[in-house]
Amino acid sequence: MHALTHAAGRLLQIVPTVILVAVLMFGLMRLLPGDPALALLGDRATDASIARMHHEMGFDRSIWVQFWEYLRHAAMGDFGDSITMRLPVGRLILLRLPVTLMLTAMAVVLAVVMAVPLAFAAALNEGGLADTIIRMLSQLGLSMPVFYVGLILLITLAAGLGWFPVGGIGDNFWQDIYYLILPAMTLALSLTAILMRNLRESLIEVLNAEFVQFATAKGLRRSLVLGRHVLRNALISTLTLLGLNIGTLVGGAVITETVFAIPGIGRLMIDSIFARDYAVVQGLTIVLAVLVSLVFLAVDTLQAILDPRVDA
Amino acid sequence: MSQAVATGDLAPSPAARPRRRFRVRAAPTLGVLILALLLVCAIVPQWVAPYAPLKFDYRATLRPPSAAHWFGTDNFGRDLLSRVIWATRIDMQIALFSTLFPVVFGTFVGCLIGYFGGIADVLFRRLVDLVITVPFLVLVIAIVAVLGPGLTNMYIAVSSVGWIFYARLIRAEILTQKRRDYAAAGRVMGYGWPRIVFRHLLPNAITPVLTYWMTDMALAILLGSSLGYLGLGAQPPTAEWGVLIADGKNFMSTAWWMSIFPGIAIVLAGVGFSLLGDAVASLFRRR
Repeated sequence: MHALTHAAGRLLQIVPTVILVAVLMFGLMRLLPGDPALALLGDRATDASIARMHHEMGFDRSIWVQFWEYLRHAAMGDFGDSITMRLPVGRLILLRLPVTLMLTAMAVVLAVVMAVPLAFAAALNEGGLADTIIRMLSQLGLSMPVFYVGLILLITLAAGLGWFPVGGIGDNFWQDIYYLILPAMTLALSLTAILMRNLRESLIEVLNAEFVQFATAKGLRRSLVLGRHVLRNALISTLTLLGLNIGTLVGGAVITETVFAIPGIGRLMIDSIFARDYAVVQGLTIVLAVLVSLVFLAVDTLQAILDPRVDA
Repeated sequence: MSQAVATGDLAPSPAARPRRRFRVRAAPTLGVLILALLLVCAIVPQWVAPYAPLKFDYRATLRPPSAAHWFGTDNFGRDLLSRVIWATRIDMQIALFSTLFPVVFGTFVGCLIGYFGGIADVLFRRLVDLVITVPFLVLVIAIVAVLGPGLTNMYIAVSSVGWIFYARLIRAEILTQKRRDYAAAGRVMGYGWPRIVFRHLLPNAITPVLTYWMTDMALAILLGSSLGYLGLGAQPPTAEWGVLIADGKNFMSTAWWMSIFPGIAIVLAGVGFSLLGDAVASLFRRR
C-alpha cells in the first residue's frame, strides 16, 4: 500500500518533467536550419505550393499557438505527421518501438546473466587472480564504444564466420531473436561492465557487513548465507543500477540500431535528424522521456517492495 | 574515530594486502604512460607518424598490415597508422574541450546553488530531472542536429548539458560542507560569502569533481567518436578515431584493419583516463 501511494506520487512528478522536455524539444526543433517544406517539395517547389505546405503544417501561425496545439495533441498521443514517411508519428513510433524494446530487453537479460556470477566470483576472491582479471575485463568493457563492439562482432561472427546475419531483422518472433543476438550482445557489453564493477563493490561491502558476519557466526552454511542474505542484497543493487543506467542503455540502442541497420526507434531518430523530420524527433524524445520515467518509477516501486530499508 | 577502528577490523585479510598495494602503484603508472604516449602523438604527430596522413597512394590501396604499413592502408592507400596517430590530436582535443567548460562553469554554479539554495535550487533540481530523463546521447544528438554537424557544435552541445552533472556533484558536497563548524566560524569572523565559498568550502568539496573529470574525459572520447561515427562529429577527411572506424565499416569483410586499429586507440585512451581517475581518487582518499 505504502509503495503504491509512493508510486502514484512519483507518477504525478513525471508530468512536469515531460512538459519541460516538450518545451525544450519544441524550442530546439524550431531552431533547426532549413525549411522542411522546401526539402519535401524539392525542385518542383513554387511559392504557392510552399505557402500551402506551410499552412498545412501550421507554420504560418504564431509560435505560441503552434506550441499549445502541439502540447494539446501530444497529450492525446498525436505527435503530428512525419513529413518524410507520410505517416502519423505516433503510429510510426508504435511500429518501430517493439524491436527496440526487444533489443533492450535481450541486452538487459544478457547483461544480468553475465554480470551477477562474474561479480560474485570477483567479490569472493577480492584481490585474487580471478578478481584482477574480471576487473580488467570490466575496465576494457567500459572503454569500448558501442559501435566498435558492434563492428568487431560483425567482422568476426557475421562477416567472417557467417554464423549470424550482418544486419536487419527477421520475419517472425524467433527469427527476430536470432537476428538480434549480436546487437543485444553489443548493447549488453558496457552495461555488463558497469553492473559487474558496481555489483562487485556492493557485494564486498555486504560480505563485510555485520549481518552477514552474524549469519556466518551463528553457524549458517556458506551457501545459505550467500544465497539468502548476500544474493538478495546483490539483486537489489542490480535493480538500482539498471534503473540508473537506463539512459545509457537507450543511447546505446540508438547507436546499435545504426550499426546493425535495425528498424527500431533509435535508427528512426538518426534518420529523422538527417531528413529534418521535426515531428518525429520531437515525438520520439517525448516518448523516450516518458518511457525512461516509467522505468525509474518501476525500479523505485520494486525497490520499496524488495528492500524494507528503503522508506518509500 | 570508533567508526574508523570498526571498519579497520573488517579490512581484507593480510594476504590480500601486498597485492593491493602493488595494484595501487602499477595502475596509475600504466595510466600515466598511456596518456604520455597519447599526448606525444597529439602534440607532435609529425615526429611519430611514418607517413603524411592525407597522402593518397593508389598503388597501395587496402593493403593488410605489413612492415611498411603496420596498420595497413585504407581505400585511398593512406597509411592507417599515420592516420590513427594524427587522429589522436583531434580526440585529445575532444576530451579537453568537451569537459573544460562543464568543469569550470558547473563547479561555479554548483557552489552558488549549494550555498544559497532557494528558488535557484528548486529550478536546478527540475533541470537535473530533465537531463536524467532524456538520455544524454539523445539530447546531444538532438542539439548537434540543430546546430549542424561538426566539432565546434559538438562541443557546444556537450557543454550545454554536461555542466549540470558537475554542478550536481559539487552542490551535494557544498550542502554538507556548509554545515560544518569551520564554515560557521568563517561566517562568525565576518568573512564575505565569496571568501567562505571559494576559499574554504570549495577546496574541501572539489575531490569528487576532479575524479569525475578524469572519467568524463574518457566518456567524452567515447561520445565524440560515437558522433564522429554517426557523421555528426568531426567531418571527413579529418582523421578522428570514430570517423576512421566509420570509413572502415564499408570494407568490413575485405579490410578488417581499417576499423579495428582506430578502435584500439579509443580503448587505450579510455583505459588511460580511467586509471588516472582511480589514481586521483586514491590520492585524495589517502590524505
